[in-house]
Amino acid sequence: MAHVSVPMYWRTIPQRYQMMGQKCKKCGAVNFPPKGVCKYCNASSEFEELQLSGKGKVHTFVLIGAGGAPPEFADQMKAGGSYPVAIVELAEGPKVIGQMTDVNPKDVKMGMPVKAELKKIYTEEGVIRYGFKFAPDLEGK
Amino acid sequence: MRRVAIVGAGQSKYGEFPEKGIKELFFEAYKDMASSVDKNFDPKQIESAYVGNLGSGGFQLGNMSALVAEYVGLPYIHTVRVENACASGGYALVAAVMDVMSGAHKMVLAGGVEKMTDVSGMKQKYWLGVSGDTEYERLAGTTFAGLYALIAHRHMHEFGTKREHLSMVAVKNHKNGAQNPKAQFQREIQLEQAMKAPIVAYPLNLFDCCSTTDGASSLLVCDAEVAKQFTDTPIYITGFGTSSDYLAIHDRINTVTLEGTKRASQHAYKMAGLTAKDIQLAEVHDCFTIAELLAYEDLGFCEKGKAGQFIEEGHTKIDGDKPVNASGGLKSKGHPIGSTGTGQAYEMFNQLRGTVQKPIRQVKGIEKGLVHNVGGSGGTVSVSIMER
Repeated sequence: MAHVSVPMYWRTIPQRYQMMGQKCKKCGAVNFPPKGVCKYCNASSEFEELQLSGKGKVHTFVLIGAGGAPPEFADQMKAGGSYPVAIVELAEGPKVIGQMTDVNPKDVKMGMPVKAELKKIYTEEGVIRYGFKFAPDLEGK
Repeated sequence: MRRVAIVGAGQSKYGEFPEKGIKELFFEAYKDMASSVDKNFDPKQIESAYVGNLGSGGFQLGNMSALVAEYVGLPYIHTVRVENACASGGYALVAAVMDVMSGAHKMVLAGGVEKMTDVSGMKQKYWLGVSGDTEYERLAGTTFAGLYALIAHRHMHEFGTKREHLSMVAVKNHKNGAQNPKAQFQREIQLEQAMKAPIVAYPLNLFDCCSTTDGASSLLVCDAEVAKQFTDTPIYITGFGTSSDYLAIHDRINTVTLEGTKRASQHAYKMAGLTAKDIQLAEVHDCFTIAELLAYEDLGFCEKGKAGQFIEEGHTKIDGDKPVNASGGLKSKGHPIGSTGTGQAYEMFNQLRGTVQKPIRQVKGIEKGLVHNVGGSGGTVSVSIMER
C-alpha cells in the first residue's frame, strides 16, 4: 500500500532536508511548502530560493492517541505511545505541520518555541524516509 | 436558466451490510427514490446520472457510474462518477442541478454510494487519509481525526470553546438519530459518556468522530417546468454554492475557519435571495463534533467564536430556533462518504414535505432548508438551499 513512492519523495528532498522555501519576487512573502503561484498574492510564480531557519512557535497541536495514527505510523505508536503533532508558525511567516520530537507530550504548549531537526519519519517500500520534526527550542522566546 | 426541482428522494439504510456491495446499496436507494415519486415515474425519462463516490470499497474505481447505473436499469445514459472526498455527494447534486439548469437534460439522477466495511480498518485509514494532503499532513502522522483535533484545539485556545461543547454536538445528534430508522446508531448517549470516551486525537475522543458506514442515496432532479407531472409538492433548489480551499490546513490563512463553507454559503444565499437568518433547518457536515461548531459560524448562524455558546443555549436542538442535523447527522446517522451529500438532501426533501418516517424528529411547518457537505478538512465544500 505504497502511498508516497520513493520517486515522489525524492522530488521533495530539498523541502524535507533543507527546508528550502520560496520568497515571492513580487510581494516578498515566503511560501513553504512550495507552490506554483505565490499563495499570498496569487500574482507571481517567480521566486528566490530561501533556506528557512526551521525556528518557529506552536500555533496548535494534537496528541495522536491509540487508533488515531495512520497505518504507516502504527509501529511508532506501538513502540512509543501517543505522539504530538503541531502546526508551527515559522519565523519567516508560513505555517507548516510536523511531528514533535524530544518532548514529553504533556509539556507541549500553545506558543512554545520550537526548532526543526532532521529525523527519521517512517519507512515505506523498504526505504527509510527522513524529514523534519520539531523539538523544543530552549533558547527561543 | 432553467429552474430546478427534486421530485423524488431515497436512501438505503446506513450501517454495516456484509450482504451488500455498491451495486446492491445503490439499487436499494434507487428503489426507495422511485417509490417516493408520487406519480408518473418512468425510468426511461432519466437522461443522466451523477454518482458521488470516493473509493468503491477499493473495488471498482474506474467507470463505476456506468456499473451502478446499468445495474438499476439505466444503461445508455450520460453517467459520471463525482469525487470530492466526503463532499462527493454534495457535488453530485450540484452537477445534476447545473445539468438541468443548462437545459441539456430535463430529468437527472443525483446519488452517491460507499462501501466502507469490506476493507480492513488499516485500509480504511489509508483510503480516508489520502483525501487530506498526502505530502505533509499525512507524513506528520495524522488522519482526519488529527486534523480536526488541530482545528478544535486552536478554537478552544482562541475562543474558550469547552470540551463539553464538543460533546454536546454528539449528544444532540444521537438524540435525533435515535429517531431515524435508517441511521447507523439509533441510540441516545449521555453527556458524561461522550466526555469520557477514549481519546483518538486529543482533544477529540471516540464520540467526537463519525464512524465508517455502508450506504447509498438517490435523488430525482428535474426541470421545474415538468415537476408537477410527478408530484404536487416538488422541492426546489433555489441556490447553491461550492468552493475549494487550500488542501493542507497549514496553508490556510485562518486555522479556525473553513473558508470554503463561508464562500459556498454566501454564494448560495445570494443566489436564493436569502440570508442565514431565513434558514429554518440545516443538515451540516459533522464528521467530527468540531466540524458542526465550525459550520454554525461559517454558515453565519452565529458569530465566529460563539459556536460553543450557541449549542449550549440549545438553538440547534430539534425544537430550537435553528435546528441542525435533525437526521442525526453524520455522527449518528453514519457517513458513507460518497452518499453523505445526497443523503442530507434526502432528509431535507422529507423534512420540507412533512414526510419524515418517524414524526418525532419532523420539524414542523418549515419551507427553507440548507444542506452543507465538506470534503476532507475543508478542501472542498458544497452548500445547497432547498425550498418548498
